[in-house]
Amino acid sequence: MDKSIVQKIIKEIEHFVPKTDTEHVGRVTSVGDGVVAIDGLSRAVMGEIVEFEETAGKTLAKGMDPPAGGAGVLYGLILNLEEDEVRATILGDSARVNEGMMVKSTGRILSVPSGDGLLGRVVSALGEPLDGKGPFKKTTMMPVERESYGVIDRKSVSVPLQTGIKAIDSMIPIGRGQRELIIGDRSTGKTTIAIDTIINQKNEPEDKRPICIYVAIGQKESKTARIVAQLMEADAMKYTIVVDAPASAPAALQFLAPYAGVAMGEYFMDKGRDVLVIYDDLSKQATAYRQLSLLLRRPPGREAYPGDIFYLHSRLLERSARLSDEKGGGSLTALPIIETQDGDVATYIPTNVISITDGQIFLDSSLFNKGIRPAIDVGISVSRVGSSAQTKAMKSVAGTLRLVLAQFRELEAFMQFAQDLDKTTAERIESGRRMVEVLKQRNGSPLPIEKQVAVLYAADQKFFADVATARVSEVEKSLIEFLDGQHSKELAEIKNTGVISDKLKTALNRALAEFRLAHRELFAINK
Amino acid sequence: MDKAYAAALWKIVEGGATPKSAVKTLREALAARGRTGLLPRISKAFARLASRAEVKSAVVLKIAREKDEKTSLKEARTLLANESIRPSEVKTSIDENLIGGWRLEGRELLHDVSYKKQLLDIYENVSGR
Repeated sequence: MDKSIVQKIIKEIEHFVPKTDTEHVGRVTSVGDGVVAIDGLSRAVMGEIVEFEETAGKTLAKGMDPPAGGAGVLYGLILNLEEDEVRATILGDSARVNEGMMVKSTGRILSVPSGDGLLGRVVSALGEPLDGKGPFKKTTMMPVERESYGVIDRKSVSVPLQTGIKAIDSMIPIGRGQRELIIGDRSTGKTTIAIDTIINQKNEPEDKRPICIYVAIGQKESKTARIVAQLMEADAMKYTIVVDAPASAPAALQFLAPYAGVAMGEYFMDKGRDVLVIYDDLSKQATAYRQLSLLLRRPPGREAYPGDIFYLHSRLLERSARLSDEKGGGSLTALPIIETQDGDVATYIPTNVISITDGQIFLDSSLFNKGIRPAIDVGISVSRVGSSAQTKAMKSVAGTLRLVLAQFRELEAFMQFAQDLDKTTAERIESGRRMVEVLKQRNGSPLPIEKQVAVLYAADQKFFADVATARVSEVEKSLIEFLDGQHSKELAEIKNTGVISDKLKTALNRALAEFRLAHRELFAINK
Repeated sequence: MDKAYAAALWKIVEGGATPKSAVKTLREALAARGRTGLLPRISKAFARLASRAEVKSAVVLKIAREKDEKTSLKEARTLLANESIRPSEVKTSIDENLIGGWRLEGRELLHDVSYKKQLLDIYENVSGR
């Protein structure tokens, strides 16, 4: 045996103080579907963690063996206190629990580790490492359930959270501390928006860069692995924590994962840092909670969801806040994701979450199929508080964008029947078409705010009017490269001041003219 | 259903009724509802309740070797007094897996000062399990 191990064992024995406390216990009377009924534990409290004693009746050697179905202590979470028994959900493999097993009260409410040591790591809903990188370096335990900050401790949203997505930052701006719902059918790009937002935080200065927490609920392990790989490739994992409660995890862990994520985020917020938490997705969490509630024999309500399904999401999203300066000025922004069926946003869970959040980004499958990506339906997407956090520069270039697009959509529908169009209408349609092209963006390529402003400024100045619609993206890309290479001073000014001054406008106009002159072939639509 | 009837019967007896009158009342109530067929199942549920109550109220002192009984009981005396348990209520059983020391279980309490527990604690501290 290694000498250091022998030393460690000797040291441990020398300093060992046996625990002589009397523990409060109960016994499992029934177990099934991840839920146990426990006789005893009459002093247990709601939400308390209990420990299953798996070593009773076993020899020392067998007690030391990791049990089949996972190593570590097996815990349960008390969710029902009944007249003569307690019901708890098993936070692990149910196969490890059997009838008659002793259950110990811990007197602890569920908490998860948080801190800088978790950055770059993939953890379970209980805060255990899942990435095989060993234990965390230094952590602080944070309660999973905590009351949200009150009105006195908060201040208004005023600092933007840049997503790097032109359509969002220009028309549906998000502020730090806001709760913005991303809603849409399956495969419409909801997760892509969330991941691009995380990647884009790389463009923020390190001291102002939000800590990102991606909570995967009920997702396929392969999808989460792909996301982690994408974040690693983009060098975004260094400021990100991934909380994973996959589809194969017990319903209890899928229900707990968002609370674990927000608890980890609160640690940083309390320290005055900005945090971005993505819940992907809350529909699956609601389904997991419904399963748990039905197994706990709670009365089912609409769509068989329990009566407190609204509270499930409201208490989670209320924990997003922008704190007052007295409280350190930190913030926690939430981007919950909800999956709809056949574009129906009027069903139970979507309407609940829409009413809780400060706006929603609606992704339309028909736009997605038309090749408009991100497939954001600007008409019904809204940000209720984000505009106060938008920079002046962005406001000045994006002010009329929503109107231009709305007019285009109207005319586009009309165009299908009309034969001859007057010149103004035709121009509006062409301008709308180009604007749609400008707002298109490939996944995994968020754009820093100064470049977004420059591109939208160019579009506002009818820069793309002479460009063939199919080549708008190409021209845009070349323009960004050109500005990046030869006018980085102007871009830096937009970034630092957040304003487009008259002097800067002149400089940008000159830059656009230079580009036009150098790339005449791209502007040859009418020639 | 049978569990609810068994629990009701248990409560009636606990409330002071004689077992005979309690069963009679139950029989009459079942007959009035046309559910006398439930009686065998109620009887089984009642037996389960009784055994559960017995387990709940029982206090067991587990020791590794028979010769440890006296010293263990002596050591547990203060604890028993604190929990208002008379030594005569304590049943002793042998569990060789404990290696040494003793373990007192019952009335929702567990006091484990067995060698096995202490060795497992050391193992957990060393291995970080």
